[in-house]
Amino acid sequence: MNLIQNPSLVEQLAASYALGTLRGGARRRFEALARTHAEVRAQALIWQGRMASVAELQPQAAPSPVVWKRIENLVNAEKEAKAMQAARTPASRDKGWWSSLNLWRGLSSMGVGVAAVALMVGINLNSINARLGGEVQELTAKLSATPEIQYVAVLADDKATASMLVTFDPKSKKLTLKRVGGFQEASDKSLQLWALPQTGSPKSLGVMGGDAVVKLTAASNEVNVPTLAITLEEKGGVPADSGPKGPLLFKGALIQTAL
Amino acid sequence: MTEPWSLNLLAYGARTSDSWTILCMTPLNPDTTLIALIDRIALADEKALRELYELTSSKLYGVAVRVVTNREWAEDVLQEAFINIWKIAGDYKATLSPPMAWMALVVRSRGLDFLRRRASDRADRMQELDDVISDTVAGDSPNPMDTAQASEQAKALHNCLSRLDNKQREVVSLAYMRDMSHGELAEQLKLPLGTVKTWIRRGLEQLRGCMSKLA
Repeated sequence: MNLIQNPSLVEQLAASYALGTLRGGARRRFEALARTHAEVRAQALIWQGRMASVAELQPQAAPSPVVWKRIENLVNAEKEAKAMQAARTPASRDKGWWSSLNLWRGLSSMGVGVAAVALMVGINLNSINARLGGEVQELTAKLSATPEIQYVAVLADDKATASMLVTFDPKSKKLTLKRVGGFQEASDKSLQLWALPQTGSPKSLGVMGGDAVVKLTAASNEVNVPTLAITLEEKGGVPADSGPKGPLLFKGALIQTAL
Repeated sequence: MTEPWSLNLLAYGARTSDSWTILCMTPLNPDTTLIALIDRIALADEKALRELYELTSSKLYGVAVRVVTNREWAEDVLQEAFINIWKIAGDYKATLSPPMAWMALVVRSRGLDFLRRRASDRADRMQELDDVISDTVAGDSPNPMDTAQASEQAKALHNCLSRLDNKQREVVSLAYMRDMSHGELAEQLKLPLGTVKTWIRRGLEQLRGCMSKLA
């Protein structure tokens, strides 16, 4: 093929491919060529690496401190969920250690004449297993003592001041909103709570009265969204299907947690 | 943490040749620090995630702001990127990339995902919501480059990019960071399509010449 004999043309195509401006049919032809010709593939990889460095050259900016808080919450929530998972399936976890594929793979790869070693390993594992069994029991006990998993969100304003604590109990389908900041809307306004899904428009979860603690009813699937937000609307709120009309006051990530 | 032998080597390096110094400085290389942190994150070490965040969040937030052009959205992107890094840290080694390049790419793809989601949403309504509390950064103002914390490879690229004129550099950088086509760039920068194509072609040609001399 002619193109292959023209290294500078290959390189030029590889550069536009990595930049992303090589599109449509030209991009597909280049990709096909790269799959069959190692030198084309190599050029594409070299330029992908070079272009990736464009991202490294962007000027710095300081993110708000709440970002780390949110990351930490999510990581903790994930860890807790994993611990729960482990506690819920004590039997399979228990057996898992014994029937672990890796263990058997490891033992068989040692080959013949290792019976004694295997026996020793077996003894050690026995004691580890006994200890793990104890931990699993403890976790199971803990789990049965804790209530259902709940959802919690701290909604904050643009200065990261916490203003509203939201909890959701899927058992009773109750959303509880508790004012924690000093914000008080004017008497002709209402606060309206919205679920912001990953895709699609905000869904109204309800309108708050003026009380410090408000309970709303919502189904779990309505609450299963990444973010909640509160807008300031005319008294009584806007109809659920019209979407928010007023300004956004508070917003926060919804995290799954055990209380 | 420094072993006695490496102290000796450092002293030896200072007396003899530069290459010794460089060799012995390797443990202090920022890349080495970042790689060690990513390795620990792969083992679910939360403290390592915190340290990595402290070292890199300003750089990576800059990347996010550049991609999504809005500070509040960029914070969501930064958050998603770090959760992503937490989950896929184990895959880092296989990429053979400098750590900052890898992380910046994670941020860029989370940012591009974010923009795609927005585009498929009813974007205008969300825009209204967000305008109230966010300051939008101008997307097409000249963008200074910053080599702080950049890998050696990025510094070489920076060298070559600096030789392009501002406009060429800007369209190349925008095309990559926001994954924009010639047509989208022309629209965004209010330039004729032919001009954008010429700038990109010339920019890439010059970059190619310059990088091949360095390589």
